Amino acid sequence: MSGFAVDPCDKCEELLQPFLDRDLDEEERATAEEHLSLCAYCRKRYRFEEELRRFVRQAVTEEMPPDLKTKLAELRTPLV
Amino acid sequence: MGETAPETEARRLAEDARDRVRFEEEALELADQVYRVARRMVSSREEAEDLMQETYARAFRSWKSFQPGTNLRAWLLRILTNLNIDRGRRVQRAPDMQPLEEGDYFLYNKLEESTQAPNPDEERVIERLSQDDAVVALSAVPHDFRDVIVLVDLGDFSYNDAAQILDIPVGTVMSRLHRGRRILKRELAERALVDGGDSE
Repeated sequence: MSGFAVDPCDKCEELLQPFLDRDLDEEERATAEEHLSLCAYCRKRYRFEEELRRFVRQAVTEEMPPDLKTKLAELRTPLV
Repeated sequence: MGETAPETEARRLAEDARDRVRFEEEALELADQVYRVARRMVSSREEAEDLMQETYARAFRSWKSFQPGTNLRAWLLRILTNLNIDRGRRVQRAPDMQPLEEGDYFLYNKLEESTQAPNPDEERVIERLSQDDAVVALSAVPHDFRDVIVLVDLGDFSYNDAAQILDIPVGTVMSRLHRGRRILKRELAERALVDGGDSE
């Protein structure tokens, strides 16, 4: 039905990262999308992965201390 | 009609100065973005600050080697990565090849199991992770994998840019990214399940 030679959920799990990275060819993408349209189990895990990437990115982002920018600007070559 | 040699030299110097100032301004405008990546490539804020200053000092000295029109942020991070390796802060070694059995659904499955409610929404599942869990889990990912995650997932660099910054083949970027994200999820699962997911 879905073109998977192995367990479709296992195959879908394998495609998760390249799917979200938009790194699948058309056929693989169609295969994943077809399975996702039928399988709530995988759909939930794909949505979680997307959310997880956003969460991690936000959680680990640390802004530059303001005084560092001043220090960097002081490294510029003085104008003569 | 033609310029004298001193005039030509003066014009050349003036153009150089103008180009250098423009370069320095553009590099400084990118400092926030470079710092966000640098901060997660090293262990502490102090290290990140030192590395940023060394990077910018070197970039300002060697600004002429930057090819205008190419990716300045990637160029700065290439300098930063090399300095980080040169200073021995980061020992280059073979990537961690310990077996990793867990697949990409591992973290979700573990968190879902530990959630009290039956069949929870993915929003409820992700709430089991704290900001601290994410910071500590990322720092526990071996450098070779973490650098790629930081460049691609935090820094929004393409696979090609990440390959150039780290001086590794694109295929290696892809395989380290794939494996690194799985290691990160394993680390997140360990932390979330140990602290019950309710810290912070």
